[in-house]
Amino acid sequence: MLKFTRRAAIGGVMSVAVFAATQGCLTAQAHADGVHDVLNGLIASYSEHAKEGMSNKSVGELFEKDGFRDYLDAYPVGGLADGFVWKPGMGATFTGPYSKLEIKAPFTDYIPLPEGPVLDPKKTYKIGFVFHGFNHPWLISLADTAAWEAARHPNVEIEVIDAEFDDNKMGQVIDTWVAKKYDGIVLWPSREAPMGPPVDRAIDAGIPVVSVDRRTSSEKISSEVLGNFYANGLQEGLYLKEVLKAGNMVLNRKDLGSTADSIRTGAFLEVIGNVDGFNIQGNYHTNSQRTLAFQSTADALQAFNDISVSFNTGGEEAMGALDAIREAKRLNSAPDGKKIVILANDDAKEVLKEIADGNIDMVSPYTPLIGDIGIRAVIKHIGAKEGLNDAPPKLIMTPNLPMITKTKMVIEGVETMTPDEWPYAYGPAVN
Amino acid sequence: MIIAEATSAPAVRASGLAQIIREPMLWLVLSILVLGALTSPHYLSALNIQNLLRNAALVGLLATGMTIVLITGRIDLSVAANMVFSVIIAVVVTSWIGRELGLRWIVKGNTFAGSPLIFVVISLLTGTAIGALNGVGVAYFKVASFIMTLVSLTALRGLSYLATNGAPFYLKGAFFNWLSDELWLGVPVSFVLLVVLVLFAHAFLSRTVAGNRLFAIGGNETATLYSGITTNRYIVASFALSGLFAAVGGLVFTARLKSVEAALAQGYELTAIAIAVLGGVALAGGTGSLWRVLTAAVGFSAGLNLLAIWGVPTWYQNLAIGAVLILAVSLTRLNHKN
Repeated sequence: MLKFTRRAAIGGVMSVAVFAATQGCLTAQAHADGVHDVLNGLIASYSEHAKEGMSNKSVGELFEKDGFRDYLDAYPVGGLADGFVWKPGMGATFTGPYSKLEIKAPFTDYIPLPEGPVLDPKKTYKIGFVFHGFNHPWLISLADTAAWEAARHPNVEIEVIDAEFDDNKMGQVIDTWVAKKYDGIVLWPSREAPMGPPVDRAIDAGIPVVSVDRRTSSEKISSEVLGNFYANGLQEGLYLKEVLKAGNMVLNRKDLGSTADSIRTGAFLEVIGNVDGFNIQGNYHTNSQRTLAFQSTADALQAFNDISVSFNTGGEEAMGALDAIREAKRLNSAPDGKKIVILANDDAKEVLKEIADGNIDMVSPYTPLIGDIGIRAVIKHIGAKEGLNDAPPKLIMTPNLPMITKTKMVIEGVETMTPDEWPYAYGPAVN
Repeated sequence: MIIAEATSAPAVRASGLAQIIREPMLWLVLSILVLGALTSPHYLSALNIQNLLRNAALVGLLATGMTIVLITGRIDLSVAANMVFSVIIAVVVTSWIGRELGLRWIVKGNTFAGSPLIFVVISLLTGTAIGALNGVGVAYFKVASFIMTLVSLTALRGLSYLATNGAPFYLKGAFFNWLSDELWLGVPVSFVLLVVLVLFAHAFLSRTVAGNRLFAIGGNETATLYSGITTNRYIVASFALSGLFAAVGGLVFTARLKSVEAALAQGYELTAIAIAVLGGVALAGGTGSLWRVLTAAVGFSAGLNLLAIWGVPTWYQNLAIGAVLILAVSLTRLNHKN
C-alpha cells in the first residue's frame, strides 16, 4: 500500500529541487563550456557506471558478447584542439562542388586557415583525397567539404578519388600517390585494419597522411580527425531513458567491427545497461543499407507484436526501419497503443524532415562536413615538415554535437536542437 | 579442333620470335608502358613498376586459377571468397593448434603471430579443398558450375563472418613482410611467385596428359567421355587447382594489407574473369594460354595504373575496363573466325 508521509513529501520536494537545480546548472554549464565538454562528462560518467556492471541482463549479455568494452576503451574522447569551443551557428555556407547542394559546414573555424595561398606561395602543393562512395549522400558531402577547402587556396591542387569500397584499391591509390610524390594525403578509410600498411608506406616516404572520421591501423599516421561516435550512441541512450523506462527493442546495426557500430552501439548500451526495463528482442547487422534495415525491421514486426524501440546506428538504417514500420502500419503499435520510439544517427535532411513530422523521435548528428578539417590539417603537416608552422595534434577531435528532437528538450544538461534550428543537415532536400 | 593450339608445343617453338611478335596483348602492354613513359615522369619509376607488378600478381593468380576452370568449359565464381576464407581459416586453425600446444599465437586481442609454415599449409589445403568441393558438386552432382560456385561464394562469405565475428585479424611477422615487400632483382616476390606458378601450370596443361584432357573436356566433353576418359575427376582437379591458386592469391593479398577480414575482395572474381577473357580464354572452354593470361594480368594492371597516374576517376576506369573487354572479346572472335 502506498503511504504518503510528511517525510516522503519533504524528500520528494527536495529531490525535485535538487534535480531541477542540477539540470539548471548543467544547462548553464553547457552553454558556458560548449556541448562538447558536457557530453564528454556524461560519457565518462556512464562509462564508469557500466564498468561497475550492468543490471540489465539482456543488455549486459550483448555488451559482453560483442566485446564492446575493448572498442570503447580504445576510442579517444577528449578536448578540442587549441581550446576551440563550438557553438551552434558557427561555420561557412557554400555550394558543394560535387553535390551542387547548398552546404553549411559547422567546423570551418576549427584549426583555421585563411583563404589564399598556403605555406610557400611560390610552390604548388598536391594533395590526394581518397574515400569510398560517390553514390552515398554522406560521403559526397565529405568530399564536398574537402574540395571546398582546397579550392580556397590557389596553390593547392587536390585529386579526389573514389575507391568504391575496395580497401585494396584504396591502398593502390595511395601507393600511386607515393610514386607521384604527392605532398599530402587525406583518406576516409572504410575499415581500420587494411589501411594501416599503405598509410605506413606513405609516411615512410615522407608524405603526411591524415584520416578523417574513421581510423586506420597505422600508428605512424600524421593526424586522425575523429568523429563523435561516442556522443552519438550516448545521446540515443539518454533520449530513450528520458522518454521510456521499459520496452522491447530491435537494433539495426552497422558492420560488426566497424568503428561506427562498436562505439555508437556500445555507448548506447552503456547508458541503458542499468535500466532494467529494456529488453533486446532483435539484433541485426544491416550494414548502412536501407533495404536490409527495411527487411530486418519488417521481419521483426512479423515476429513480435510488442516492439517499443527501434535503435539504428545510422540514418539510412533509421529510414529503412521507418519505411517498414509505416508499411506494416505499426507506427503506434507499441504496448498501450504508444508510438514506437525510433532512434537515429546522421543528420541527413530526410531524417530531419521525419523528426519534424514526428515519425523519427531523435537523431544524433554525425556530420560528414569534416573533409575541410582533414585538408587544413594535412596542409599544416606539410608546413611543419617545411619548418613553416607547428604540426597540428595527432588526435583531432571534432566537436560533439547536440541531438535533434522535434521539440526543445533538456536531457541531463544537454539542450536539444529542433530541425528548424539545425542548418548543418546534409544531402538533398526532401519536401 | 582448338585443342591443337595448346598441345602443339613444337609448332610454337618453330615459329619462335614471330609467334611472340604476333601476340596482341604484348603489344598492348608495350603501348601502355610507352604511353606512360611519355606522359608521366613517375610511370616508369622503379616504385611504380613494383606497385604495378604487385597488383598484377594478385589478379594474375586469381585469373590463372579461373583460366584452368574456364578451359574445361566451366566457371568458378568463388575464387575471391575462397581467397579470403582460406586465410581466415588458416588463422583460426593455426591459432587453435597454438593453443593446444600451449603457445599464444593470437596476441593483442586479434593479431596473428603464429607459425607461418602451418599457416601457409592450412591455407593452401583449405583453398584446394573448397575448390575440390565445388568440383565434386559440378562433376558428380551435375550442378551447373555457375550455380555451384555462386552458392559457395555466398556460403564462404557467410562463414568468413562467422569465423571472425566480423572483426579483422592482423597478420604480423617476417613471412608477411617478405611476401608483401621483398624484391628479387628489383621484382616483387609476389610477382616472381606468380611467374613460377604459371610456369608450372603451363607445363601441366601443355605437357601432361592430364592437362590435355582438360582442354579436351572443354572442347567436346561428350566425345572425351566416349573416348574412355573419366572426365569427372579431371573436372574436380581443375576446380581444386583454381582453389589452390585462390589460396596463394589470398596469401599475397592479405600479406600486402597485413590483415584479413570477411568483407575484403568483393567482386574480384569478375576481375579474374575479365583478365582471363583479355588473355584470350574462351568462356565456352577448350582453349586458353596461361602465358597470355599472365600478359593480360600485367596489361590490366599497367592500364589501370596508368589511368590512376593520370588521375582518372575510378568510374572512368571502370568504363575503360569495359571497353577494353568488349574489344578483346571481339578481336578474339575475329581471330578465331580467321
